[in-house]
Amino acid sequence: MKTVNLDQEIRELIADIIEMPAEKIEPDAKLVEDLGMDSMMALEILATLEKKFKIKLPEEDLPKITTLNKTIELTKKYVK
Amino acid sequence: MSSNVIEARQLDFEQIKEIIPQRFPFLMLDRVVDIEPGVYVVGIKNLTGNEWFYQGHFPGKAITPGAMISEAIAQTGIIFFHTARPTLRDVTYLLASFRVRFLSPVWPGDQMRIKVVPIRLMQGSGILSAEVSVDGRQVVKGQFGLIAKPNREL
Repeated sequence: MKTVNLDQEIRELIADIIEMPAEKIEPDAKLVEDLGMDSMMALEILATLEKKFKIKLPEEDLPKITTLNKTIELTKKYVK
Repeated sequence: MSSNVIEARQLDFEQIKEIIPQRFPFLMLDRVVDIEPGVYVVGIKNLTGNEWFYQGHFPGKAITPGAMISEAIAQTGIIFFHTARPTLRDVTYLLASFRVRFLSPVWPGDQMRIKVVPIRLMQGSGILSAEVSVDGRQVVKGQFGLIAKPNREL
């Protein structure tokens, strides 16, 4: 999978869940404090990442979904 | 709660009331017909023309409100969580997200069959998938999130 595509797909996936235009998500903006994400949205992001990329993210990784960049970094650890 | 309620594959109306706190006019589950803990729960709700909400939704044209179908889904979700997480007790379940499509109207006389399966289950929360059918025809599908909030935190 091309990195650019993966980055963009994750951006769009997060944007859809937090209900915000994808282009407005700054890579290092804090999803909770800056963009209004709540814990259920974080879980939805995790579940959607798993489904989209056919990966399994452990429950302990949920707190790592803090910014777009961190989420991309986390996903890349598991995507082959 | 007796342990046989947790181990049962079916729940009657009284057993449902041992698990979920909702009561008339907000109890939207008559029976649970199949449980595989952590895998799925199937509940049913029989809708009669006497349901209180048909008085206003709509006068002269009774159609089941989507809000009440959503409530039936959420209550099936509570049963799912309760059976999937037997150590989780003294909690209140809060609906945290809800994305469903209402595909067809549901009428008085219909029996809703509500199936809930997990998409992603955590210790105290989960994203669940719901499908409601009437006579084998899918009428609602979608997903929702539930959070089990300890009562001491509420």
